[in-house]
Amino acid sequence: MSTKGTHIPDWLAVPFAGITPAPTQQKGQDLFPTGNWRAIRPVYRDKMPPCNNACGTNEKIQGYLDLVKRGKYLDAYALIKEDMPFPSVTGRVCYHPCEQACNRGKYDEAISIRAVERFLGDLGQALPHDVVKAGAPNGKKVAIVGSGPAGHSAAYQLARLGYEVTIFEKSPRAGGLNRGGIPDWVLPQDVLDREIERLVELGITIRTNTEVGKDVSWDDLKSNYDACVLAVGLTDPNSARAEGEDKDGVAYGLPFLRDIGMGTSTVKLGPRVAVIGGGNTAIDCAREALRQGAEEVTMITVEANTSEMPAVPEDLHDMIEEGVELMHGLAMTAVLGNGKVEALQLHAARFSGKVNASPIAIDREAPAARFAVDNVIIAVGQHASLKWLPDEFKNERGTIKVDRFGRLGDTMFFAAGDIVQLGSGQPLMVVNAVGDGKRTAFNLDKVVRGEPLQERMVPLDVITDLARMNMTYFPKFARVQQAMLEPVGRRKTQEEVIQAFSEEQAIEESNRCFSCGTCNACDNCYLVCPEPCIVRSVRSNGLYKILVDYCKGCRVCIEECPTGCLEGVPELDFDSGVVRMDTAFAITQGLHGRQKNELESLSERPPKDIENWS
Amino acid sequence: MATATLTKKKVRINGCVASAQAAKYADVDVIAAYPIRPYTATMMALAQMVANGELDAEYIVADSEHSQLSIAHGAASSGARVFTGSSGVGVHFAYELYSPISGSRMPVQMMIADRTLDPPGDFGSEHTDALATRDMGWLMGWSCDAQEAFDNHLLAFRIGEDPRVLLPQMVCQDGFFVSHITADVELPDSGQVKEFLPPYKHPYPLDPRHPVSHGPQIMPEQGPPLQLERARAMEGAMPVIEQAHEEFAKIFGRTYDPWLEEFMTDDAEVVFFLQGAHGVTARHAIRHMRSRGVKVGMVRLKTIRPYPTDRVMESLSRFKVVGVIETNMGLGSVSSGGSLYAEACAALYESPKRPLVFSFMAGMGGEAIVLKEFYWMTNKMLDAQKRGSIEKRTHWVGFEE
Repeated sequence: MSTKGTHIPDWLAVPFAGITPAPTQQKGQDLFPTGNWRAIRPVYRDKMPPCNNACGTNEKIQGYLDLVKRGKYLDAYALIKEDMPFPSVTGRVCYHPCEQACNRGKYDEAISIRAVERFLGDLGQALPHDVVKAGAPNGKKVAIVGSGPAGHSAAYQLARLGYEVTIFEKSPRAGGLNRGGIPDWVLPQDVLDREIERLVELGITIRTNTEVGKDVSWDDLKSNYDACVLAVGLTDPNSARAEGEDKDGVAYGLPFLRDIGMGTSTVKLGPRVAVIGGGNTAIDCAREALRQGAEEVTMITVEANTSEMPAVPEDLHDMIEEGVELMHGLAMTAVLGNGKVEALQLHAARFSGKVNASPIAIDREAPAARFAVDNVIIAVGQHASLKWLPDEFKNERGTIKVDRFGRLGDTMFFAAGDIVQLGSGQPLMVVNAVGDGKRTAFNLDKVVRGEPLQERMVPLDVITDLARMNMTYFPKFARVQQAMLEPVGRRKTQEEVIQAFSEEQAIEESNRCFSCGTCNACDNCYLVCPEPCIVRSVRSNGLYKILVDYCKGCRVCIEECPTGCLEGVPELDFDSGVVRMDTAFAITQGLHGRQKNELESLSERPPKDIENWS
Repeated sequence: MATATLTKKKVRINGCVASAQAAKYADVDVIAAYPIRPYTATMMALAQMVANGELDAEYIVADSEHSQLSIAHGAASSGARVFTGSSGVGVHFAYELYSPISGSRMPVQMMIADRTLDPPGDFGSEHTDALATRDMGWLMGWSCDAQEAFDNHLLAFRIGEDPRVLLPQMVCQDGFFVSHITADVELPDSGQVKEFLPPYKHPYPLDPRHPVSHGPQIMPEQGPPLQLERARAMEGAMPVIEQAHEEFAKIFGRTYDPWLEEFMTDDAEVVFFLQGAHGVTARHAIRHMRSRGVKVGMVRLKTIRPYPTDRVMESLSRFKVVGVIETNMGLGSVSSGGSLYAEACAALYESPKRPLVFSFMAGMGGEAIVLKEFYWMTNKMLDAQKRGSIEKRTHWVGFEE
């Protein structure tokens, strides 16, 4: 008898024929730790959604859209405020690179992120007290020169870090480009006023009508403050280099808008207005000209067509809808008239090289055209006014020379916004200035605290693209469109053209978000795991747990993760948590033996009432 | 038991129908069927019984033998007494299920009416179909006639379902020689069967009232203890088999040695060692040769799994020469003949008095082993006895001088 004298040790004892009693999940997994079969381990690794990456200040866009989906508006607002001091402003004015980068745009239509941002910004405006508080005072004083987007952002972040911040603003009202460069029908002044109030609530001192170089000297800044951020922007308009620009009826883009914004404008427009330039400021000027009483507004661009114009396409579209005419491939070579503009002399022109990045070649041999106008607004860019800045800190582009952390040499002066970004390749946009102000503020803080500076780096592989996601889970849904004023009526008013989202619209649009590369607690892994070995305590982001003792590495959860957040990582990359073959019989030795006893006493248990299962 | 009230009856039926009758008497719950000759006659008979209302059972016709045995496995897991069967290549198509069924300790009963494996298509009996599965944990043995087949089915249910055993059974009979030859069979009183065969009760069936999980995935360490327990069950079946045969004799009045039928072996010097239907012919041949003074006999192996090693050694050691009649194929095996030779020799290895052993390749492909072939084989054995050694291990009977 071969089995005579055999003995099965307790720890190897098995129930009859391996029959498992009461096969609960927990018990089954304890008994059969199949994790050692696994070659690939599923790991939750949140990646960078393309919107967050594209945003000039890296707002956590996916994060706040996800919170809006769940109706957690205040949390969403608090999240956006980490990177963006005034979502009510950028929710209206931003050129939304996030939406251009949005993966949904390659699928059906990009998420209307800006509209959701505005929804949250307006919600924040309505709060009696902001959710953001000033940091515990650290006893350090910082001066910010300029209250535009970059200065505002730097001041905001530094106040949150506990600095005592003073902003110097040369204009009578704070806001910089937000006030002086953006028309009311895009950004109502009271919205901006509220955001400026929020700065004051953080304990920031704003000294208007105070110009550096006149009211405050370089040395004052140096001796009275621990550090200083120069965010003076580009204040002086470029000339079109045409003859007769000094004639009456000639205006320049940014001052034209700024004077209207500040309430100091004295411009009276005639019925026919020409705008020289093809960028965003030119578009704002053209549309503002309509609202200032002009009957016919014509935009004259060197660019050969609309697609070459360096402008936000939907603003261009809205402008054309309002009735502005376009003339392409022309440069203004002279302003004609007897003391006052009567007509423009136009010559055929083109860029000598790359569009918008090379000198303009004007064909002066060709016959000039005469274009009768009552006013001309020249909007062909801005440059800095830095007479007060020591020469050592000026660069060949006429802007401030900084290192890659925004610092002027080894001084405690920093600079941010358009004044450093002009010509750097960075777009001269509000959100980019905000991001620059934020990063400069953090760099400043590190320098003050003597910490090493680090550049922002995003490895390309963590920016999620569609190929890493499972599109099966995303039905196509049209973008929720923001309502707009009718073109005919709006061209004569200062009312906001683009209307806000309702709460329902904000939720509906947020629900379209793919949450690219980021766990949004959709529960799909939890549901598809065939074992199951994915557990969760509550339905919440990042709270799923893989039972590594049990997961066989079948990859179903990875393949079926809609957002691409779950990744398969080779088991060899881990040095822990792997159940080894030689001890894998049961997590606790002898469990099977105990199960054997349990099986034998099965008949003593009361039977389950199978007739009345609920 | 009051014998006076017994309603036994003698009927003239073939082996297939005898098997069907046994299943009916055992009151099986589920029949899993898939046709293949010669087993088909059994499933036909059962179909009629179910259709006529003689037998209350689920009769499931599968779409292949693999499904057939899977159905049998599932049905047994739910606690049903299951009867199934097949022949030849059909037995092999279900091969995957044999170890799972015995490993999960489901006492499924399978009737085998032997059929030669292809090629080419051959209806004749050869034991290779079932013998190929002999180490899969199924109780296994051959009947030599219809009555024995009937009895063996009842015995196998009783043994396999014993809580000390819980193993499936292959109850084999030669195709044609048993399955399709009509013979007298005594059918018992159903009360006798009830007394002999208690209702089947698997200890842990699949039952939503007492939920259990059958056949869970196990870790490598769990295989050996489970296999050891299966081996213990197979060995532990031996006393149960003996006890069952004793009780069978008491209740039905027919006495069988559960392991070996010895025919005219008391003073025999040379014996045939075989299984199944050819034993019937052998008895005639032996009687004839005995009348000529030849000391020949027969040892018929009745149960090959569990293999009665000690009984075989004890029995065969008494003779000078043993001629194993294979009726199965063991290509390239120990004797380059059949597989039964190895079973016989291995049992004899530790015997202090080992006989000479031949392997006779006879009854292959369903050919009858005729009397003169038994005489020829006897002469070979006598020659070897005289010479004191064998000429060669294996003889292909009918192909040699």
